[in-house]
Amino acid sequence: MREDLLDPRAILLHESAADRTEAIRRCGQALVDVGAVAEPYVEAMLERERTISTYVGEGVAIPHGTAAAKEIVKHDAICVVRFPEGVDWDGERVTLCVGIAARNDGHVPLLAALADILLDPERARTLREATEVHQVIKELT
Amino acid sequence: MGGIDSKDIHKIIVACDAGMGSSVMLASQLRKQLKETGVTVEHTPVNSIPDDADVVLCHAGLAARARAAAPGKVLVSFQIFLGDPAVTRLVNTIKSGGTVDA
Repeated sequence: MREDLLDPRAILLHESAADRTEAIRRCGQALVDVGAVAEPYVEAMLERERTISTYVGEGVAIPHGTAAAKEIVKHDAICVVRFPEGVDWDGERVTLCVGIAARNDGHVPLLAALADILLDPERARTLREATEVHQVIKELT
Repeated sequence: MGGIDSKDIHKIIVACDAGMGSSVMLASQLRKQLKETGVTVEHTPVNSIPDDADVVLCHAGLAARARAAAPGKVLVSFQIFLGDPAVTRLVNTIKSGGTVDA
């Protein structure tokens, strides 16, 4: 795995957001901050979310940009942003966002690992309730 | 157009809006479940579904776009990204034989 794919600085475990838009902006900003995407990518994430919710189950959503926005991705990266108080996600309650920026397939193994975790309620809970950065890295890689 | 016999399924495409998020997750799960069958699973944006796809899987919200982008392909739509009954049915049909309806 490339080191900049899951930058520890992009793992934020004690965030709060009033709504889905604010939560996605937080995820987008995390990806901007580690140099994975340019600023306009955040709007593309919101645009993509309006098409179909990125909720994937077990209290987890995976916001990401549109196909057109791949152009402004500098390198494949994910961020993990936890909202312990929960965010209303079009009727679902989300406490963990895995934000994605990808122009290639560098992030595929990580998403495959995430899918495995989400299909195991016990592991999903461990990930959702992680309060330390190293726990999250251990679960996902 | 009718369905497709499981024996004729060689390539499944999971189509998504951007092809970088949920379709990637679903494709990885399917690949694992279909490992022993020799069926190829790929993920692509809905606008670039390859010609040699035998079955296209996509979220119900994208079904109309997928149908327009890949006319004549057998399309299976789902509502939830992980553990959707329609996807389970597709996997079971491929493994034990039968027809996948268009």
